[in-house]
Amino acid sequence: MLKIENKADIFHYRTLLFILSFSILTLLSRYFYLQVIEHERYSSKSQVNSVRAQATYAPRGLILDRNGVVLVENYPTYILTVTPYELDDKEKQFQIISNITEISVDELSTRYKKYYQGQFLPTIIAKNLSFAEISQIEERRLELSGFQYKRFDERLYNDVLKDAHILGYLRELDRESLPFLDKSKLYRAGELIGWQGLEKQYENELRYSKGIEYIEVDTYGRKINRINDNNIPAYPGKNLTLSIDSKLQQFSKNLLTDQRGVILVSNVDTGDILSMVSNPSYNLDIYRGETTDSEWRDLLSNEGKPIINRNIAGLYPPGSSFKIITALNLIENGLLDPEDSLMCTGSYLPPGSSNTFNCWKEDGHGLVDLNKAIAQSCNVYFYETVQLIKLSDWTKTAKIFGFQNKTDIDLPNELIGQIPDKEFFINTYGRWGWSERGVLLNLTLGQGDILVTPLQSLRYINHIASRGSTAKLKLNANKKVEYYDDIILSEQTWDRVIKGLYDVVNSEAGSGWRAKQSEVKLYGKTSTAENPHGEPHAWFNGFFDFEGQTFSLVVLVENGGGGGAVASPIAGQIVKFFTNEQVEIVNK
Amino acid sequence: MSFFNNYIYGSNEYLGRLYLIVSSLITFGLITLFSISADPLSINSSFMRQVIFIIFSLFIFLILNQINIKTIHDNSTLIYIFSFLLCFVPFFLTPVENTYRWIDFGFFYIQPGEYLKCATIILIAKYLSNHQLEVKEGYIVIIPILIALISSFLVLNQPDLGTAVIIFAPVLPMLLWAGVNGFTLFLLIAPVITIIAASNNMIFNIWGVLMFIIFLAFQGSLLKRIVIYFANIFTGLLFPFFWNDFLNGYQRQRFIDFLNPDLDPMGSSYHIIQSITAIGSGGLFGKGWGQGSQTQLKFLPVQESDFILSVIAEEFGFFGIAIIMFLFFMLIKTLLDIAFKSSDYFSSLVIVGLTSILFSHIFVNSAMTIGLMPVKGLPTPFVSAGGSFMLLCFIILSLVTNFSKN
Repeated sequence: MLKIENKADIFHYRTLLFILSFSILTLLSRYFYLQVIEHERYSSKSQVNSVRAQATYAPRGLILDRNGVVLVENYPTYILTVTPYELDDKEKQFQIISNITEISVDELSTRYKKYYQGQFLPTIIAKNLSFAEISQIEERRLELSGFQYKRFDERLYNDVLKDAHILGYLRELDRESLPFLDKSKLYRAGELIGWQGLEKQYENELRYSKGIEYIEVDTYGRKINRINDNNIPAYPGKNLTLSIDSKLQQFSKNLLTDQRGVILVSNVDTGDILSMVSNPSYNLDIYRGETTDSEWRDLLSNEGKPIINRNIAGLYPPGSSFKIITALNLIENGLLDPEDSLMCTGSYLPPGSSNTFNCWKEDGHGLVDLNKAIAQSCNVYFYETVQLIKLSDWTKTAKIFGFQNKTDIDLPNELIGQIPDKEFFINTYGRWGWSERGVLLNLTLGQGDILVTPLQSLRYINHIASRGSTAKLKLNANKKVEYYDDIILSEQTWDRVIKGLYDVVNSEAGSGWRAKQSEVKLYGKTSTAENPHGEPHAWFNGFFDFEGQTFSLVVLVENGGGGGAVASPIAGQIVKFFTNEQVEIVNK
Repeated sequence: MSFFNNYIYGSNEYLGRLYLIVSSLITFGLITLFSISADPLSINSSFMRQVIFIIFSLFIFLILNQINIKTIHDNSTLIYIFSFLLCFVPFFLTPVENTYRWIDFGFFYIQPGEYLKCATIILIAKYLSNHQLEVKEGYIVIIPILIALISSFLVLNQPDLGTAVIIFAPVLPMLLWAGVNGFTLFLLIAPVITIIAASNNMIFNIWGVLMFIIFLAFQGSLLKRIVIYFANIFTGLLFPFFWNDFLNGYQRQRFIDFLNPDLDPMGSSYHIIQSITAIGSGGLFGKGWGQGSQTQLKFLPVQESDFILSVIAEEFGFFGIAIIMFLFFMLIKTLLDIAFKSSDYFSSLVIVGLTSILFSHIFVNSAMTIGLMPVKGLPTPFVSAGGSFMLLCFIILSLVTNFSKN
């Protein structure tokens, strides 16, 4: 087909055939030598003594708070494993183990199946063995070929902070979940992996690096000899120091008592979160030892949803704190003179509409300028002025402050919430089912289809406190300080808004007067967010300067009632805590 | 029915034989994989994955069979450039196990270096077939070696020493096949043997005498032969000196590490000891299917690919290994037969090149399991688990099918 004819030489063909035959015969003769002539030797070697590579472990890293208080440490327990191939009589041996450990044979069989990974690999069948149990197993060693026990570290939590939401927990890997892991090669079934919270986020840092030890074992799996060549030591994981101050965390938690809600405290300059409470919570001890299915089901179906970390995964309407979004728009774009006053009669009738919109204060605020409108949270002022703003501008401003976006906190599973825009309204209510003016009346009060997480709200207040340039929120104290994109507004705009926030707390009729502290200048905004689940949510977002640094806080009490009446006093307590005892927060 | 005739019986008697051998090897591989999978019917088991890879590869095989040999001949440079560029893709992706050898397709990985091997062979074959009249001249070897060097150098940077070395495997057989004279080929191998021989005085002396006799026996200018002879001797003499005195321990270790990038952190000698124990304990007839205590996940990692022959040896004994070796022998012999009978020079050269690749994989892998060679991650054709290499084997099969049609 192609022009040149093949003129392969029979001599070349034979040369290659000779090389092929020679190589294959060399290989075959070596196989023959090993398998037939030396068979006895290797056969006995495979039966009697085997070199086995076994993984060695080191402790997982500790988790400390910012002052070095140990929050999570390791607690040694013993686990019992069984190597299926080495079992003599499974039924009988399981019965012996069942007598010693008081775990039913059924349960043992279930675990045996669940964690089975191959005939020759040890399968974990019991945890938390006591020393007495270990001794009994040791006594009956000869009847229990195939069973081995080894040390296995579990997590032990400090009573100060057993908060599952931040710390997260470890999970035992079983056969089903193993193949879905990113780095499945590093893990074996039965090992622990950070599954939620910081344990998951910092898995790579906290996790030990496994070592390898070569041992010679006999048919019973007993260690005969340790071979030192090629052993690789295991290294402990790195410790993780949190930005959390455990005293403040505990104090904040007590403030919420049994109310559902959230308290967040952060350092605006560094982004360090000092306290992150989500109530109700659940005790991390549930992950130690054996947790039954029904305990789990109770936890999952609990009405208070203790499983959820409300800080990052709870979605709420923000309420009046969003009036600041409107105010920033108005001043920055020169849409009105902040000194101009409007008349609040207690209700607002939009042009061309028959529905009146009420102010929360039924008999009205009288003459209000911007400052007073923020301080006393006058609805009518914002109903009227928001009419000057375009919907697209308003949502853009909200998004600049990080809403409908992740805060990049170092925790997994953060939600982004929702800032409705034109597209959203068209998709939800149809092309003609809504009007821009109408929805703005809702949006300006932080109501309607807006949903935010408390952590986003904290970021928002930090942006305001730092006048646009604020550090990314984080829980790892040693993580490098990074910044969110700067928000550039004129100094005058910031001044106006911040003055308003000051008056919320410090002016005579300010809605947050209950938060006021004599020694510290506190700025803030109360919110009372209506919602379909009952009483309004009570919010307080604020910041204060303390010993040269700026701190911020978010208090949310779910269905608590008014922001001024419920959330403000809690905020005040936190500020008081700073002045009373916790100077060390600042020094670090 | 011509389709059936073509693909089942083959367009000639050899093709039919080839397909029979390949099917036997694949079956043998699947039986072994079934035995070592803890849960063979789950989608994640190496057995099921292998079945899916084979079906996929078969599909590609049927598609590639439609391509005309002339198309491949005429576009050989383009094919080479494409494969070459493909090797750069992994450098832009996240590294897999710290190397840039793989392109991740989710379900399986593709190793572009594998395909560069084929492209290199096709390009060399085209060059040789275009310069057939000059084949007796010594300089004919320069371009093929240069092509192989470029490919090898690229793969070396991924880094993948195994593939980089294998790229050279087809060069000598192809040159031999093309009719390059024996002395030139000898000159190519001599320096490599010299460096290896330099490790031992006795061997080096014997090699020196042997080389002297060969140099005397061949024709050519006396001066040229003397110069080359002494150049070789000096290389040999200088190498240990260079190795011991000019490199410090750290650099030597770097060099050894460089030669052995696949060295398992667990220590390769451990693997070889376990592999030999597994093979030796298999005996004449083996421990039976699924009964190999040594290989059943207990001691050997990567047993489904690198050490699959150890599994076969343990479970089916020398008997099983003899069958596998016979099949390998027949596979390579049949391919050589096809190359020999091929009526066209270019096709013939390509088939010899591809055959060399398969053979080098077979040899290096088997030799590794019995401790004759250091641990290298080279799989065995049609038997080892692994998508990328299985696909390559089927591509080779399809090229052979195409090239034997005339």
